[in-house]
Amino acid sequence: MPPSSATITPLPGGPFSPDLYARAWSSIPHPTRPLIATAHEKSVTVYSLSTLTKHLSLTGGHSRSVRSVAWQPCTTTSSSSSPSQKLRLVTGSFDSTAGLWSFDEKEKSTFSLEKNMNNKQLGEEEEGEEDEEEWEFNLVLEGHENEIKSIAFSPSGQFLATCSRDKTVWIWEEVDEDEWETVAVLSEHEGDVKCVAWAPSEYSGKGGRFYGTDCLASASYDDTVRIWREDGDGEWVCVFVIEGFGGTVWSLEWEKEKRVMMNDEKEGKGKTRMSRLVTACQDGGVKVWELVEEEEEVEEDGGKGDWSVPNRMRRELREEWRCVGEMPKVHTREVYSVAWSGETGVLASTGGDGRVVLYGEEEKEEEEEKKKKEWKVLTVLEGAHGPYEVNHVTWCKRWDKGTERKGEEEMLVTTGDDGVVMPWEVRFS
Amino acid sequence: MPEILENENPTILNVSQLPSRSRKGPSARAGPDSAFDSLLYPSQPWLSSSSQSSSSEDEEDSSPIDEQDIFDLIAPISDPEHPHTLGQLSVVRLPDIHIQHPSDGGSRLTTVTVDLTPTINHCSLATVIGLAVRYRLEQTLPPDWRVDIRMKDGTHAQDDQVNKQLGDKERVCAALENETLKGMLEKMLEGC
Repeated sequence: MPPSSATITPLPGGPFSPDLYARAWSSIPHPTRPLIATAHEKSVTVYSLSTLTKHLSLTGGHSRSVRSVAWQPCTTTSSSSSPSQKLRLVTGSFDSTAGLWSFDEKEKSTFSLEKNMNNKQLGEEEEGEEDEEEWEFNLVLEGHENEIKSIAFSPSGQFLATCSRDKTVWIWEEVDEDEWETVAVLSEHEGDVKCVAWAPSEYSGKGGRFYGTDCLASASYDDTVRIWREDGDGEWVCVFVIEGFGGTVWSLEWEKEKRVMMNDEKEGKGKTRMSRLVTACQDGGVKVWELVEEEEEVEEDGGKGDWSVPNRMRRELREEWRCVGEMPKVHTREVYSVAWSGETGVLASTGGDGRVVLYGEEEKEEEEEKKKKEWKVLTVLEGAHGPYEVNHVTWCKRWDKGTERKGEEEMLVTTGDDGVVMPWEVRFS
Repeated sequence: MPEILENENPTILNVSQLPSRSRKGPSARAGPDSAFDSLLYPSQPWLSSSSQSSSSEDEEDSSPIDEQDIFDLIAPISDPEHPHTLGQLSVVRLPDIHIQHPSDGGSRLTTVTVDLTPTINHCSLATVIGLAVRYRLEQTLPPDWRVDIRMKDGTHAQDDQVNKQLGDKERVCAALENETLKGMLEKMLEGC
């Protein structure tokens, strides 16, 4: 049963301490570890999700504000983690560069954070849960002409996407350890690119019609969202433009893979669909989009190895996406951020009006598949950061003392103009 | 700045012609420091109990900020190319300032909308003027105020683009990190 209502209350022990005392842009939890990284001013503060206190700061890498931060997914996908596994994160800054930081658990010393990598000691030793720490500012990715607004790693960690006020999206590939190459510069947007996000799903389309499984979405000041895929020849192309937004699209997020799997299990078909996409817009709107897939005519060769068939046109790369859900309008100002829970499928949105709104999707009624699914408001939290604007909301696993299901139970974390990073307990009924 | 002015002969009002509250001169509000205080020492009353920040008590009375107060805050901003203020040049006009107070049960925010009238309709400095007005108001108004700056309908050739830019928090923030631009704004705000 989907929840019919929810309550949001401050998590005991919060907010994360110390406060940052100035506008903070976003807070990104590590995919597996109890860490959350907040971008604010010219630095990143990493908090522990166990103690809700500061773990460390990454400073000195950027000359202007750090707008966004992303953790690289652990590259060892197998169950046994290699002993020298590095923690890595990337920062995207208004100084138009992205910085790659890494922490090698094997090495021992204090932080070394100088841009020129000369391991300057900053003097403060961290008594963390993980012995002594060494974070290095490894390298700078240069190329954008203006402020970088958002950055995101592809699910495998192989690709990094960055986007900027210069209207472009860059895709970088790690070709060797700490060696990144630009594999694409996508310049079809007509305005600042505000947000990039990779689809989590390894879904390869009906009949395996996609060449690669990596799919990127970008949201822009030009009031559109673009969907990008690799065309089989290493070229990245725009396969669809979502139009009709009433203003800048500030952010977007994909439905978590776990949810796609769950739904499909219920229907007993295996993984048969692409993750949906949710968008947050200047006009206060929050909408859900899905890939339209016609039932494919049976392919004579089973879908793979198309090029063995002579005279066959290249597979059509063009896609069709449609709106399949619209949240009831609660926000009175721009929506800056939206987050999709992997556990419950509940959506959270926040923005300039300081509200945090949760929405639940109604159970599908009968078999009317073409019908838009209904979303309803589960709760509205007024003034989450008092009078201040809220710039970011994310779902995040709990690791604090108060939970009995560490690393499983979810909470919300909001980040505001007041420099407060606030954890919230969410109860459904 | 180039010596060629975009508008060589703007209409200029005398200070005495500007709208003002009859009982006293331009209101003596706390000025920029009140906004910085809240940034430097946020009290976050919504997280703890009911402790009221002392800065609000310093103000002589609790009469709400009205359109005239807003006008008084932004009219003294200097024009970037004329030795006059935005009030004197009628870029800022009292009737074009609108305040929307919190509605019952709804949002607790107060919104002020300022429609600017550039001296000529292709003034390339419209964005800078708008930015100065937004910057001034965000520095001085309490944090539960939201500021919308627009070009008055039909007064500027690129209304939409300028409005959109001025309404984009991320762009405004990045612009204020630009030292040249910031210097220009500080200069325009010297008379405030």
